[in-house]
Amino acid sequence: MNMEENENQEIAITVKDLKIVYRSLKTYSLKKSLLRLKKVEKQTFEAVKGVSFEVPKGQILGITGKNGSGKSTMLRALAGVFAPDAGYIDLHGNSVSLLAIGVGFNKALTGRENIMLSGMLLGFTEEFVRSKIDEIIEFSGVGKFIDMPVSTYSSGMFSKLAFSITAILETDIMLIDEVLSVGDVKFKKKSYQKMKSLISNKDRTVVIVSHSLSTLSELCDTILWMHEGEIKEIGEPKVVLEHYKEFMK
Amino acid sequence: MKRFISDIQDNFKYLIYSAKSELKAEVANSYLNWIWWVLQPLCFMLIYTFMFSVVFNAREDYFPIFIFIGITMWDFFNKNITQSVKMIKRNKPIVTKVYVPKFILTISKMFVNGFKMAINFGIIVAMMIVFKVPVSINLLYLIPLMVTLWVITFGCMCIVMHFGVFIEDLSNVITIVFKMLFYMTGVFYDIHKRIGKSYPELANFMGNYNPMAYLVSSVRKCLIYTGEPDLKFLVMWFAIGIILSVIGVKIIYKYENGYAKVV
Repeated sequence: MNMEENENQEIAITVKDLKIVYRSLKTYSLKKSLLRLKKVEKQTFEAVKGVSFEVPKGQILGITGKNGSGKSTMLRALAGVFAPDAGYIDLHGNSVSLLAIGVGFNKALTGRENIMLSGMLLGFTEEFVRSKIDEIIEFSGVGKFIDMPVSTYSSGMFSKLAFSITAILETDIMLIDEVLSVGDVKFKKKSYQKMKSLISNKDRTVVIVSHSLSTLSELCDTILWMHEGEIKEIGEPKVVLEHYKEFMK
Repeated sequence: MKRFISDIQDNFKYLIYSAKSELKAEVANSYLNWIWWVLQPLCFMLIYTFMFSVVFNAREDYFPIFIFIGITMWDFFNKNITQSVKMIKRNKPIVTKVYVPKFILTISKMFVNGFKMAINFGIIVAMMIVFKVPVSINLLYLIPLMVTLWVITFGCMCIVMHFGVFIEDLSNVITIVFKMLFYMTGVFYDIHKRIGKSYPELANFMGNYNPMAYLVSSVRKCLIYTGEPDLKFLVMWFAIGIILSVIGVKIIYKYENGYAKVV
């Protein structure tokens, strides 16, 4: 890690000894808990086991690793959806959003209303979303369907609209779970370009979780390789990805 | 406490907007759309009035209004609580993707049901005019009574929502408890008159120590019988409501970040 070199650089994300534990993955029913009053068995599963790292402002961090290595869990913890069970996450006052598709959509309402709903849920003010709404509609390319109920949309249109909302409403830190590939070839190209311009913005810090090695090596400044809840390696994309490829063979 | 207020302020616009959109979505595809909000309770009132005045020979002054007040308030309480059991699960896409203080979801739900209750109170006023019900200054007691209803409902909702996340079959329990509570609340009869005749102490107990029974009978008293509610119990229930709400909000703050792991 080149922490000393970056000392004069502003840090956007600090994660220290982060641990996330899933307690008994199933919810329990009354009958079960009444019958076994004496001994409540606690199944725990440690998804993230004491991970520490820092991301300087403006950097793009890629996280990779095999399925179930705790990548998405950590991303959600960064988004504030999970509380860490030990350790802490410090975002240094930056706004953060998990690039999630269709948050808070109500399918009986029109696309326009859903943009407002989703935008406000992501923590933006009503005025701000309103000022961006034309840009979102324009980008999504759903055209006149915007004033029709979302339930009438084709699945491609749905994801295009949902992607546009999160892509246009920007935050300081963006968390991306699997680089989104939605819509037809044309929209895919457009959204990839948009993503690129979004994340290449100097002030924006980005964390991407992906399995696509080509995307990661193209976009990221640093790669974090997670293995069973721990950091296996962190550093230059070329080096880490090479090791990762070797390992997965 | 500070956090609670600032969270409400931050999310207030979203809260209103989501309540509005839920109402809109509810009627978006039906023919009579919002008229259902009026029609449904009106029909229930007619059914109950027929059943209890003709079949069971119950007699109260202004019986239709008497029943309508009961149904309106009971519906508000009942719907809010039963809907909060699965609140987190129903909102899974939101809960697992963004952080929202979870009581925002309950308050939004309360606005949805509160709006319907307001419509019904509009109907009550209209019926009072039609029936030429005499009114007095005691009408103003409606305000503290409604505030108490909201506070108690909010507290219960938060607590029920929390346990609903972890206990799968809570909704079955709630259904049974609420069925019982429904009959004990005196939605279609007067507890003090009916039970009080043979068991005055039991009636006192049932009428005052069940918040819904107390609130429903007090609203009737001040709205259509120009009486005033028992202030001692009003203060008591308001205090209990506040305590429940504080406990509920505290629980939610403590555990809400774990919800996403379970659903």
